[in-house]
Amino acid sequence: MTRPKVAFFDFSCCEGCQLQVANLGEALLDILALVDLVEFREVMSEKWSGRYSVTFAEGSICSDEAAEKLRKLRERSDVLVAYGSCAATGGVNGMQNRIPREKLISTVYGDQWRAEETRGVRAIHQVVKVDYTLFGCPINPAEFLRLLTAILGGISWHASDNAVCVECKFNENVCMYDRGATCLGPITRGGCNSWCVNNGNVCYGCRGMVSNPNRAGAEEVLQAHGLKPELIAGKMGMYTGALEADDGT
Amino acid sequence: MNQALLSKSRLADFVSYLVSGHKVVAPVPLQEGRFKFDEVQSLADISLNYIPTILPPKKYFMPQRSTLLRYDLSKGQDMEEMVELEKLVLFGVHTCDLAGIQCLNIVFSDRPKDLHYLARNNFITVIGLECSDYCDSFAGCAMLHNHLPKGGYDLFLTELAECYYVHINTQKGEEMIEEASIFEAATKAAEGELERLRSRKKELFTSEVPIRYQDIPRLFEETFDSDVWSQLGEKCLSCGNCTSVCPTCFCFDILDEPELDLGSGERVRVWDSCQNEAFAAVAGGDNFRKKRLERQRHRFHRKFKYLMDRYGRLFCTGCGRCSRSCMAGINLKRTISALIEERG
Repeated sequence: MTRPKVAFFDFSCCEGCQLQVANLGEALLDILALVDLVEFREVMSEKWSGRYSVTFAEGSICSDEAAEKLRKLRERSDVLVAYGSCAATGGVNGMQNRIPREKLISTVYGDQWRAEETRGVRAIHQVVKVDYTLFGCPINPAEFLRLLTAILGGISWHASDNAVCVECKFNENVCMYDRGATCLGPITRGGCNSWCVNNGNVCYGCRGMVSNPNRAGAEEVLQAHGLKPELIAGKMGMYTGALEADDGT
Repeated sequence: MNQALLSKSRLADFVSYLVSGHKVVAPVPLQEGRFKFDEVQSLADISLNYIPTILPPKKYFMPQRSTLLRYDLSKGQDMEEMVELEKLVLFGVHTCDLAGIQCLNIVFSDRPKDLHYLARNNFITVIGLECSDYCDSFAGCAMLHNHLPKGGYDLFLTELAECYYVHINTQKGEEMIEEASIFEAATKAAEGELERLRSRKKELFTSEVPIRYQDIPRLFEETFDSDVWSQLGEKCLSCGNCTSVCPTCFCFDILDEPELDLGSGERVRVWDSCQNEAFAAVAGGDNFRKKRLERQRHRFHRKFKYLMDRYGRLFCTGCGRCSRSCMAGINLKRTISALIEERG
């Protein structure tokens, strides 16, 4: 039996989500016994010219060239996974859609900068049809393995649409709000096993919001905890700027 | 023997006795005045004065995630049923949480019996601890008649001036008392002291909301279309905290998780919640409770109406966890008060 051809590609991103796979350790050996890894720039230099069984695409789409490359990948792929926050929601790159480009660039680089032209930031599903979405900045390795085995084993899989609070309570963390901090856990899509809060950090909302967030209610809660509307909008929009074109959330 | 006394100076010895032969879990302190049930090694690890733990002791009877069976496709349809059993002693359980365990026992003993739950239950010894005062302002135990012990334990400790008054409720509890051999016979003086404590509690613990236990289901029946639910729906963030921390919520999802060989794997049970978006979603994309107000109303009706109809008992214990952990400040007692006020 031929093993399924699996490939990883990246668009605008830090490639940190692919690094999560490179860092899997022993599980990576099990995966390699299961699949034929045909392209993965971060760990190998071979290329593949045939069809891909499963393509993991990391990064957001910021140029016409990237969109064209993605469309070609889609045509050659049986299954396409939007892999990581940049691919799933546009990620932090999406801030470009909310904040003027010049302001962003000068904030990050001062006046010493040289940048490629971009034209808006899009998540993968805003350009081509996506079969599965793996959220997270970075993706959660355990969730990646569950998705991969589900795809290869023919079992249905859905990204969690529960708030981060659900898993955070399972882990019996003391709530960040009780600890005098604010946190986006209540409206952020879970599936990460409340990774950040388990390690003493707040939730930054890296997976974007749940599919049907009570945004107004959450704003009210954050305001009651002393946050100004502008800061709330900034926090909520940090990973979701590209999605504003979708449905206003 | 149904009663015994344990000198306060011997409580540490009793915990040491328990630890010597069992895994013991008890309330331990976390940050910000919060607590959780966790494994302890001695009395020094335990908080005897604690507000309800973040998660109720439910997590030992029906863990957040547990394996129900293992499968191996090379053996066809043969699946190996699994119960993750752990013999343990639950020490220091308040009466609200004892009531929670009783509620779960009723549900999981109903047909079809939940053998995983019942098997785990057999391995757990429960030692209760009486509250002589309210833990905090979220508690509603008197309204739900759960401020006094009503069974559900093997042993139950009440703190008196010099000693603990110990109710022995099961043979397992009696055997422990005998084996530990540090308990004394109950005295008339101690019984008198217990009675005085209980009468003091009668003064102190009065229904936190002006409604009688038996009238609560009717209140919910008559306020199904109340504006109170719309207000809750507007505030609720659907974070699921209220149901995750509830001692009587028992809904779960079942998932198949293959190993990396794809041929074998596990079927796991994970807590689920009526507050989660996908909970009432069905094939085709419909959702029976799309609106947050419907989900919050459903949660309340599960506690105060539906399960009363089915099992003759309210499924709220009054522990206050849902109110304590609500991100949006939805408060169970205030909600009931608002319903009473609106109905008039």
